[in-house]
Amino acid sequence: MDLKKKILLIDDDQDFLMATKLILEKGGYEVFLAEDGKSGVDMAKSVSPDLAIIDMMMETWSEGFNVVSKLRTSDSGKQIPLIMLSAVDLQGPYQSFEPPGELPTVDLVLHKPIKSDDLLKFVGQLLR
Amino acid sequence: MEDTGLSAPQILIIDDEVSILDGCKQALEKSGYTVITTSDGPEGIRLAWEKRPDLIFVDLKMPSCSGMDIIELISKDMPDIVLIVITGYASIVSAVEAMKKGAYDYLPKPFTPDQIRAVTKRGIEHRSLKIEADWLREEKERMQKSFITFVSHEMRSPLVTIQQYIESLKLIASDRFTQDMKNIIDRCEKRLQNLQDLVEHWLDLARIENGTFSEAKVPLVLSSIIERSIEELTPLCQRRDLKLEAHIVDSLPNIMGDQESLLRVFTNIIGNATKYTPAGGKITVSTHSDDYYVYAGISDTGIGIPQDKLPFIFEPFFRVKGKEERQRGSGLGLTFVQKIMEAHDGKIEVTSQVDVGTTFMLKFPRLYEL
Repeated sequence: MDLKKKILLIDDDQDFLMATKLILEKGGYEVFLAEDGKSGVDMAKSVSPDLAIIDMMMETWSEGFNVVSKLRTSDSGKQIPLIMLSAVDLQGPYQSFEPPGELPTVDLVLHKPIKSDDLLKFVGQLLR
Repeated sequence: MEDTGLSAPQILIIDDEVSILDGCKQALEKSGYTVITTSDGPEGIRLAWEKRPDLIFVDLKMPSCSGMDIIELISKDMPDIVLIVITGYASIVSAVEAMKKGAYDYLPKPFTPDQIRAVTKRGIEHRSLKIEADWLREEKERMQKSFITFVSHEMRSPLVTIQQYIESLKLIASDRFTQDMKNIIDRCEKRLQNLQDLVEHWLDLARIENGTFSEAKVPLVLSSIIERSIEELTPLCQRRDLKLEAHIVDSLPNIMGDQESLLRVFTNIIGNATKYTPAGGKITVSTHSDDYYVYAGISDTGIGIPQDKLPFIFEPFFRVKGKEERQRGSGLGLTFVQKIMEAHDGKIEVTSQVDVGTTFMLKFPRLYEL
């Protein structure tokens, strides 16, 4: 039997986690949920996901970036693709969201809400 | 005792009389407080720093150091701690002086266990209220500062989550949907999108009003922005069987402007035109300039706006015709456009004839670079 690829989903909105989990599970992935940055980082260590999806705005508006930095410097998160989710349009005229210094790099930034097809397509591409 | 927090309130007692210390400790521990004591003034200050108690009793008259000095020092350095003086020589004068220096209350010797418990209870309550008041004040300041950011997150999050649920519902159950169910979901999505547009537009206006709408004005030429807006709206016009044309003169003079908000100005006005122009119609964007201004006009062959309604179209939520779905928008689009034009020292004017069409004319001061 095929081993399912593991995806870690970090977001402080339980409902958003649930909705996204349903989509990813339908896509054939095993999904792990974390409701805040810290437990997300801990969970990455314990489950060694193949990909992680991180919400940008959690406890603070930039908590997602902290999580990404921590994952990028940990053994479990160094190599895996990371997707950042954002509910604000960073391209738009929203400069009150000034990034705190240099931002850690992610493989992809997706804007919430995400079409199921898009989510599965991008995740599939990153896991190939 | 009453529950004032996660752990029992901590009380520090500084008094040179060991019998008083023991008596107080017993009386207060019986009521559930955590009590630390010392008969030495400087040691008391050190303990205050280290343990950060909720409340401190200080004997005013001690041999090693003046209680008054301790009161003064602690109330200055650790204003959160409630200070109560114990006055041996029942002197109102010294109690008043201590309270001027920051003590909250005083306890005259001799006192009964019930008396010290009552004074302590009052002091702890005072502290809880003070902490709550401070917290509320900070919270209020924080809210005011980041109100827009906060509201935008709080308003967007549920919308986004509902949309995400609909996405997942469609994915996991669409093969079992009847046409009616599909229609319901379509309607939900449309109404959600409308609400989301309303939120976005409201946020833009709120940002303009509180000065956090970022505008990075740079010298630019309107043609590039008009081209982008046309590119963005061509698919919509094709769907609605409308012709969208631009007549842009070469070598249009520069203006000072913010790219993103000006793009939204054009997409807004052209978007409006698509709503009020019947299929087969035409929307034309044209530009010209004179010695003072650069002009951009957006004309449609739509249903037009009656003369008596023209003065109101920039008002929030004003609608010329509002019953039809096709016309439903946030109701804030033109208000936003007008504010952005004001921020560019520009002007927007509208002329219209019912059943012939409408023209919006944007006027920007032309930029002379020295």
